[in-house]
Amino acid sequence: MSLLEELKSLGVDVDGGVHRLNGNQSLYERMIFKFLDMMKKSVVSPEFDANDYADVIEVAHALKGAAGNLSVTPIYEAYGKIVDLLRSQEPEEARKVLNDVLPVQERILDCIEKHKS
Amino acid sequence: MEKEKTILIVDDVEINRMILAEIFSGSYNIMEAGSGAEAIEMINGNADIAAVLLDLLMPGVSGLGVLEDMNQTGKIKHIPVFLITAAESEAVLMEGYHLGAVDVIRKPFMTQFLQCRVSNLIELYAHRNALEDLVEKQVAQLKEINQSMVETLATIIEFRDCESGEHVKRIGRLTRIMMTEVSSAYPEYHLPKKEIDKIVTSSILHDIGKISIPDNILNKPGRLTAEEFEIMKQHTVKGCEILQNIPDVMDKGIYGYSYDICRHHHERWDGKGYPDGLAGDEISIWAQVVAVADVYDALTSERVYKAAYSREKAVEMIYNGECGTFNPKLLEVFRGALDKLLSEG
Repeated sequence: MSLLEELKSLGVDVDGGVHRLNGNQSLYERMIFKFLDMMKKSVVSPEFDANDYADVIEVAHALKGAAGNLSVTPIYEAYGKIVDLLRSQEPEEARKVLNDVLPVQERILDCIEKHKS
Repeated sequence: MEKEKTILIVDDVEINRMILAEIFSGSYNIMEAGSGAEAIEMINGNADIAAVLLDLLMPGVSGLGVLEDMNQTGKIKHIPVFLITAAESEAVLMEGYHLGAVDVIRKPFMTQFLQCRVSNLIELYAHRNALEDLVEKQVAQLKEINQSMVETLATIIEFRDCESGEHVKRIGRLTRIMMTEVSSAYPEYHLPKKEIDKIVTSSILHDIGKISIPDNILNKPGRLTAEEFEIMKQHTVKGCEILQNIPDVMDKGIYGYSYDICRHHHERWDGKGYPDGLAGDEISIWAQVVAVADVYDALTSERVYKAAYSREKAVEMIYNGECGTFNPKLLEVFRGALDKLLSEG
């Protein structure tokens, strides 16, 4: 299966993402690889401090924006919820959402990683 | 299509910059900044940025910081700024609007809608900027026309007076130097440069009323009789009558100064001048300045009834009160002003 088809099967709205880039599919693929690098560098750990999470909001916010623009829907939606919950001071609820999305996220990143090489 | 306009994309996340670049690169040149500080540098170093797409949340200088800088430099008036946002609070967005942002771009981007909005506003701003330039040019042109009309009027008088156009030019230069000196030396006489410019333009009209004085008196080679002098004195009020008939020809400010200078450039500090017998600071400082400049220039110029006095002799006569009394504060700056006039050549 090609990268894009596989991503589709993992819930990524590939068509929406490509459409956003004026239909430029190869650019979309290149940006998906960039997204992988970004996700590896900006890790939100589920072990974050329940009393001090300002930097977690910042990272989650950036991931949400990039994921949204590439239509990586599961990650976009989860990090959107995490940002909202942290802003309304519900760190434990946010932690739950994060724990739920991490396996999904891992499958998506593994898939991209596989096609990169 | 030739790309003439440039869009600056400011976002610390490279993926977002790349997406926006792709969306707009078909119609615009693209510049990218990865931080607020970089953005400020680019905005201030490039004259041709047509729009800024600005992320709000960035480490270091934030989007609001960039907007603040654009407010300080005045660039915000000429460049539309779009805020890029995922879900900033209403308060932050409102602050962005108050700082002059024109619109909000939400992530994820909606490509075609975004293209339309941005290009519409770029066109609108380009149109507005062009209109502003045009108005500025026309105002400058009007000012020039105004100035040359005033000069034309003054020159006509001079020809009748058998003088060259040089007299009014010298009066103008001496008036500028003296007004500047007296304005900086005495707070009560302080005037901004813009006003001094108008006074200088007005000063060259001080004798416009002489057009109504008969030739045999205006150009009489000898001393005037008492009766003739009374007619000669009328040139002050006649000048005002002429100006009253053409108020629309000139700028309002220049009209006011011209009127006052025409009427009062023969008043004297001790109240012995004409036509109104004003004394001291009842006479405006500009009329006082033009009076001194006019006397000095008359003394140092050759006239049908007299030879030219030397500069030293003229100064001595003015300080001795041989040409009427003047404001002591004006006399304080007069010598220095003359030195400046002569060093200008």
